[in-house]
Amino acid sequence: MSEQKLNQVLCAVRGGPESRETVTYAIDLALKTGARLTFFHALDAEFLNYATIGPLSVVYQELVEMGKFTMLILVDRAKRRGVAEVNYVVWEGNIRKQLHQAAIETKAEVMVMGRPTRSPTQNVFKFNEMEKFAAELEAEGHLRLILVPDTPSE
Amino acid sequence: MNGLIRNPLSGIGYRVSGVGNQITAYRLLLPAFLLLLIWPWAAMDEAQAQETAVAVSPLLTGLIRDTQEQPVFDAHITAFSGKDILAEAVSQEDGRYTLLLVAGDPIPDEISIHVERHHFQAAEYAVNSSAIENLRQSNLLHLPIITLERRITPGFWIATLVFVGMLILIALGKLHNTLAALLGTTLIFAVSYLGPPLYEGLYIFHFEDALRYIDWNVIFLIMGMMIVIAVVERTGVFQWAAYMAYRLSGGRAWLLVIILMIVTGIASAFLDNVTTMLLMTPVTIRIALSLGINPLALLMPEVMASNVVGISTLVGTPTNILIGSYGGIGFNDFLSNLTPGVVLALIGLIVYNLYTYRHDLQAHQSGGGVSDVLLQRLAQKGRITEPDHLIKAGVVGAGMILLFVLGEKVHLLPAVTAVMGATTLLVWIKPDIEEMIEAVDWTTLVFFMTLFISVGAIQEVGLISYIASGIGKLVGDNLTLAMLAVIWLSAILSTVIANIPFTAAMLPVIGFLSVNIPGADSKVLFYCLSIGSAMGGNGSLIGASANMVTAGIAERAGSPITYMYFLKKGFPALIITVGLATIWLFIRF
Repeated sequence: MSEQKLNQVLCAVRGGPESRETVTYAIDLALKTGARLTFFHALDAEFLNYATIGPLSVVYQELVEMGKFTMLILVDRAKRRGVAEVNYVVWEGNIRKQLHQAAIETKAEVMVMGRPTRSPTQNVFKFNEMEKFAAELEAEGHLRLILVPDTPSE
Repeated sequence: MNGLIRNPLSGIGYRVSGVGNQITAYRLLLPAFLLLLIWPWAAMDEAQAQETAVAVSPLLTGLIRDTQEQPVFDAHITAFSGKDILAEAVSQEDGRYTLLLVAGDPIPDEISIHVERHHFQAAEYAVNSSAIENLRQSNLLHLPIITLERRITPGFWIATLVFVGMLILIALGKLHNTLAALLGTTLIFAVSYLGPPLYEGLYIFHFEDALRYIDWNVIFLIMGMMIVIAVVERTGVFQWAAYMAYRLSGGRAWLLVIILMIVTGIASAFLDNVTTMLLMTPVTIRIALSLGINPLALLMPEVMASNVVGISTLVGTPTNILIGSYGGIGFNDFLSNLTPGVVLALIGLIVYNLYTYRHDLQAHQSGGGVSDVLLQRLAQKGRITEPDHLIKAGVVGAGMILLFVLGEKVHLLPAVTAVMGATTLLVWIKPDIEEMIEAVDWTTLVFFMTLFISVGAIQEVGLISYIASGIGKLVGDNLTLAMLAVIWLSAILSTVIANIPFTAAMLPVIGFLSVNIPGADSKVLFYCLSIGSAMGGNGSLIGASANMVTAGIAERAGSPITYMYFLKKGFPALIITVGLATIWLFIRF
């Protein structure tokens, strides 16, 4: 883990139990570097198109609220751990694009993410695709991507 | 034939003349009066005689069936005398036909009946001489039942492959359900219209024939319920119910699971399972995270309860709507014949889930806990947002249930009740009508229509008959064996096949078995199909649409439900719930 001075750490997670390690890593990193920590949740509701029956607009609002609530729990956790500056953002749309955009707009030096798990439904990244995405981000000079629990991609 | 053709006018004249013999004073006046009276009729005598002759032309009637004693409609029947065509007819929905011979023509000494229909072998029947003599005497002859043998054509294989392909596309999620069914229907029509000029055996059926297979009762019932649901879902009642479950449980996770399962189950009994889970899942995840519980420890019991309890009413699942319409099973029938079994299965499911998730449910006591700000936010989002609409929807909903229950006595179709309820609600609430029209999931209605056509195609080419015949041979006259076969086969198959198309395809099979197996006329096999196809959905992730949407939302909250995870937790639940429901059916029937 890098201990150099950082201004902004972006932690992109879903927020469930499987994110625990990733969140812990990001909090630790923010504490050690004095960086502002931003939790980032990208909501992709494309899967709702495969629901044959359903109140999609209402569900969409519920999903947004679920995302915000999840992020607020993480913010709460980070504050309890002593992170001075912490906030969250929930963006809607294609996750890959949103991650890319967040990397630019937040001006974060580091993005912390969990490795993708195998999933039965459409996933943002295919199982072995994450490192390629990390390399792309770094090559464009936006930020460094740290995949948890593995070591940084560099 | 002449002996039967009587001029009714002359008959009247004769009888009245007899009266005139008894009353002398009228002897002169009466014939004049009668002449005046019957003159206009007499002028029409010739035309009337011809018309009457048509009405009593020699008739040959009969019935066409297939080898499973099911009526065959649309068969083309021709009566021949040698090579001369005497008459032609087409069999009706009930398989009956009437051949009308030309009035006045002598009846030939030899008559043969030729029957042709697509996907069947042609049949011939020679009318014997004594029957022909009877026809001459009475102008009417009831022919024996003619049985048609199925014929496997290239159209059979195409329709079968298209249907299987559609099931695979739906199961794998490669195409939207509606698109998969629409593609299947399009292929069937393309082959039916473009194929026969190349090779006649490619014919499956025409558009007009396909429309016969669409069950409009199902379409309108689903449409009506969608509008009602569209109003209810916006009231925030689901979020409120979930939050109340959280409050009532007082932080006891095991109690929260039980309450959530019951709430979800009741909601699923009146609304469709997908809607219920779409609305319950996000709020359940928020509650789980607030308590520090693994969200899956709440979501899995919920979705399983939704799949199990949904079948207790006619409108709880699309499969029940299909079964009810096809089998003539009403709201009351489902309530009285299935609900006790469902309650039994739910109790088993609760016990199973409390045991399976005991570690997750205990874990929260040592961990979890969120700030007061978050708890306030949870409470704030767990409010009823449109109480006025909820009250009105409640009143209309109660009225609809009353009509579902009592309407059967006046043959009020559930579809009519649903449309009446939906319209009443719209008129009363006066919502943005465009918003409400958008709330009707038209793609789903198209899915059902195209699904009916796809199932109609495999029914038309004989695949359903072969399956029914195979199962019939397997179970023989043994109702117990048939019940076990239907309930468990449909449960297991529902774990890999989408249960709506599966149920739609199985209905004619169950219809056949219900007629042919002694004791099955109680419609018990339809209830077996209902239980199997719905509770079977708990066996795998792809077994029910509700499972898929729950998994989709859970994954977005960082709690993915993998195929293997669902199989591991869900399959034992399938065994328990289907087992308990089977016991109930044996007690009940």
